[in-house]
Amino acid sequence: MKIVAESPYRFRIEPFGTMRVPGVVFASRALLPDPDHDKSLEQVIHVAALPGIVRASYAMPDVHWGYGFPIGGVAATDIDADGVISPGGVGFDISCGVRLLAAGLDRAELVPHLDGLMDALDRTIPRGMHGGGVWHVSGHRELEHVLRAGARYAVEVGHGVARDLERCEDGGAIAGADPDRVSARAVERGLGQVGSLGSGNHFLEVQVVAEIYDEAAARAFGLHPDQVCVMIHCGSRGLGHQVCSDHVRTMEAAMSRYGITVPDRQLACAPANSPEGRAYLGAMAAATNYARANRQLLTEATRHAFARHTTAELDLVYDISHNVAAIETHEVDGKRRRLCVHRKGATRALPPGDPELPPDLAPVGQPVLIPGTMGTASFVLAGVAGGGAFHSTCHGAGRVRSRHQALRSVSGRRLRDELEARGIAVRGTSWRGLAEEAPSAYKDVDAVVDTAEGAGLCRKVARLVPIGVVKG
Amino acid sequence: MPARHAMSTAADAGHRIVPHTADLRLEAWGPTRERCAAEAVRALVGSFADLEAAQPVGTRERAVVATSDSDLLVAVLDEIIYHLDTARELPSRAEVTATPEGARLRFEAVDIAGAVLIGPVPKAVSLHELRFEPTLDGWCCSVTVDV
Repeated sequence: MKIVAESPYRFRIEPFGTMRVPGVVFASRALLPDPDHDKSLEQVIHVAALPGIVRASYAMPDVHWGYGFPIGGVAATDIDADGVISPGGVGFDISCGVRLLAAGLDRAELVPHLDGLMDALDRTIPRGMHGGGVWHVSGHRELEHVLRAGARYAVEVGHGVARDLERCEDGGAIAGADPDRVSARAVERGLGQVGSLGSGNHFLEVQVVAEIYDEAAARAFGLHPDQVCVMIHCGSRGLGHQVCSDHVRTMEAAMSRYGITVPDRQLACAPANSPEGRAYLGAMAAATNYARANRQLLTEATRHAFARHTTAELDLVYDISHNVAAIETHEVDGKRRRLCVHRKGATRALPPGDPELPPDLAPVGQPVLIPGTMGTASFVLAGVAGGGAFHSTCHGAGRVRSRHQALRSVSGRRLRDELEARGIAVRGTSWRGLAEEAPSAYKDVDAVVDTAEGAGLCRKVARLVPIGVVKG
Repeated sequence: MPARHAMSTAADAGHRIVPHTADLRLEAWGPTRERCAAEAVRALVGSFADLEAAQPVGTRERAVVATSDSDLLVAVLDEIIYHLDTARELPSRAEVTATPEGARLRFEAVDIAGAVLIGPVPKAVSLHELRFEPTLDGWCCSVTVDV
């Protein structure tokens, strides 16, 4: 593999072997994955061989070794030229994403109530394996409404306010959801989990705006210095994982009929326009809507906890998905084409003026929410004109050490003590889960975001630091 | 930590967790295909739950359909994850027996209410670099689990 530096923030892997397009890695030299410990660049090359891929197989600055696709990968296929869709290019946790709520109070006003608020969140936010969900969905029929209409349905039945939907991608419900393509097993897994965080790297953090880089954009997003915010990071729970597993199996069985071979079974795919491709797109949209309803219900639970301890309102800044595939129109080689854009651990970043943005955000671009590592910093970014990789940017810090390695280097108890000593209240589910998410297991989120900005993928709007962590 | 060669020489069963930045990678080994699959179940459960204080709730049996060895392993582990999400139970001991269609999974179930969470909860079994194969004197497997 030959990697050529095209600029300080852009590297190119020339096509060889079965690659149909080059690999393009947006990274600084320091952030380039070390091939001895991380196979993500090999995965960028595998993705470059997918049928119908156009322009390049992209890697974001936070790229790391995933399964099939790299985590932090973007790939678009031309759906009118037999371009494929791959469930592995979306990931198991369909529409895993982030939402940010801005509170009507500043840090000093919250600090006296922080412990009580954190205890309330600890009690009311379901997570880990015992949790269930905050919403007791009445049965299959109601779950079908969730799958069809996502956060829109949740708001319609009283779990939010109309303005929330203006600040969700696709108005809270992606079109094309087909609950009939969601298996009975997926439905069973999803029934009891609407309004739950899960575990692993998922979290709810109470944060404070530490720095503003772009005042106009911050104002449009409703953010100001020292303001309290809440960031929620979670996805489509067992339902989304089951959808991915089911459709990977179906596509794997169908690939030979389409003459497709892949170097990794988790890259199983089928033409987006094939029966298998359309079935997955319908199921994926349903799981995406489930994830948006999930984050909407956690928003409601958070608002209730705040209401018990403060008088502050919580307004939704934005809700983004960073594991999803979307049908989008982009110009490729001088022609407008319908593309299936896979973002696996990558975030869409629409530029100012994009017609999909609500009028109040159109002048500044789409808010992009980057959850940092526990106890460090998170970022609010905005889309920019001419953004690369089909208007995509990073999604987080990106792991450099496995959970296993993280465990050997730090104890959960010590990490909690260190965070508490820095004024960060921690409510975890297990010491081990805490240790596995130690900041030392991840890339430096400041470096990742600076690189994404330097590469022209986005611009910085605000930096947020945690004062309370509810760990999934 | 057992050396890798232990997997191909030891007749008894065992398991370990190996580094992978994408969640959890398990290796398990055993004298037969079925014992190896059962050991993978132990590895999966042991990665996130301490069942010492969990109450037994009965024996469960599930038929697993698979046309290849690796698909059998995935189906067995998938069944445990599905059972956790829907019945809120985990196996304290599992046994896998071959059937013409695949395998029968039989396990002593415990209620997760009494289980202690010690790690992130598995959500799916990936096909990435999946291996389940015979060795000189037994079977070994290697599987990546999404958490």
